[in-house]
Amino acid sequence: MSMIEAAGVHVRFGDRVVLESVDLAVAEGEFHGVMGPNGAGKTTFFNVLTGRVKPSRGKVLLGGEDVTGLPPHRIAAKGIARSFQIMTLFDEFSARDNVMMGLPEFRARGLDVARAAAGDSQFATKASEALAAVGLVDRGDIRARDLSYGDRRALEIAVALAQAPRVLCLDEPTSGLGSDGVQRLAALVARLKGKLTIVAIEHDMEFLFSLADRISVIHWGQVVARGTPHELQQNDWVRRSNLGKFA
Amino acid sequence: MAAPLLVLDDIRKVYTKGRIIRHPTFTLQANLSLDEPGIVGVVGPNGAGKTTLFEMMTGSNAPTSGRVLVAGTDIHGVKYRERDRLAIHYHQSYQVRRFRKRVPSALLAPSPTRTPLVHLFDEPQFNLQDGYIGFMLDFFRKLRDEGKLVILCMHPTASWHLDVLAEIAGQFLFVAGGGVSRIADFRELSAEPRFRAYLGPEMTRAADAICHSST
Repeated sequence: MSMIEAAGVHVRFGDRVVLESVDLAVAEGEFHGVMGPNGAGKTTFFNVLTGRVKPSRGKVLLGGEDVTGLPPHRIAAKGIARSFQIMTLFDEFSARDNVMMGLPEFRARGLDVARAAAGDSQFATKASEALAAVGLVDRGDIRARDLSYGDRRALEIAVALAQAPRVLCLDEPTSGLGSDGVQRLAALVARLKGKLTIVAIEHDMEFLFSLADRISVIHWGQVVARGTPHELQQNDWVRRSNLGKFA
Repeated sequence: MAAPLLVLDDIRKVYTKGRIIRHPTFTLQANLSLDEPGIVGVVGPNGAGKTTLFEMMTGSNAPTSGRVLVAGTDIHGVKYRERDRLAIHYHQSYQVRRFRKRVPSALLAPSPTRTPLVHLFDEPQFNLQDGYIGFMLDFFRKLRDEGKLVILCMHPTASWHLDVLAEIAGQFLFVAGGGVSRIADFRELSAEPRFRAYLGPEMTRAADAICHSST
């Protein structure tokens, strides 16, 4: 059974059809890349997976359970975490606090002060683990706004990881990163690979082709091609292009 | 026998100017039948009526006379929002869904099919660098192999655009001079004097080179 599956997802905004019919089935532990030209519908597809957009037709299944149309927080609670193309951190808070706010048990606690006093150290430990996973353990006390761009990207992933998700959705994780940052991120994703089911939209083809188990190409709101990086590179036109270099 | 996938049954579109005395400013006529699944290349100079032709084929612009039949159904008699279940029109990356609504939708028929049989791609954005072109061409083949009719319109401005047309299209429609001519293959297209005039000398040489290399 697939960890996350989309079947016949169709999205229409007014008169505009954004997703015509998208199918995707990602196995547990798979890293699945999503690529396609601008405006192809990639981010909208992520918004369907994470509950921000309700499809007009089609289904989303998480571990076989139908989660279509559930609100984002319910879907997050069921184990889909995501990062955004545009970063969404609390700039004035420390890196560790950002991660702590991502912990489900921290959010469940609400404003109970007595439990806050008793539980914070335990949350801090968990947050430190997530920071360690992304290589930020020694920067936990720095305010998010004072971190470098690459560190902020890593922190976003730490926030997502803190939720102990079953599926991690990354929307253009390398955008805005320099080559050092991309390499660090690639190393981070390589460490997570296999332990977590990952779906990543990405324009950096070197990143995607070197890390993904399979890739779906979305265009015209449809999956126009799908396969392992090796399979996709068998096409003559692909070999003639820049993509051919990443074989 | 199943109905042909796309029939342009003696269609004619006339644009006029003037409110009282109408002068025709543009006329496009076509009468042809594309019976089988396949990939059809469409070429022709700007202003020849390619866009009008596509709009008629996909139900967004009704012909002045004649009928457009998709698998036997008159697409202009189908509810507007269901026309893309018969024929779908993409301009570059986006689906075109602008319909000139002259009849209330309630008076129109539902689409007999759920997924489109005719897929029309008007100037898809190809470039050589990103490799998507290979995926797009394979997608056209997949649609054809699933029994669909794929119509691909291109403006050849680089020699590799001609490579794409020669590789992918099983036949061609050449739109010029108010009419639509059906052309069997790339070799015949390259020999067509009006197509050569439209391409210009440099691209004509490229087209000839493709014909030579394939012999």
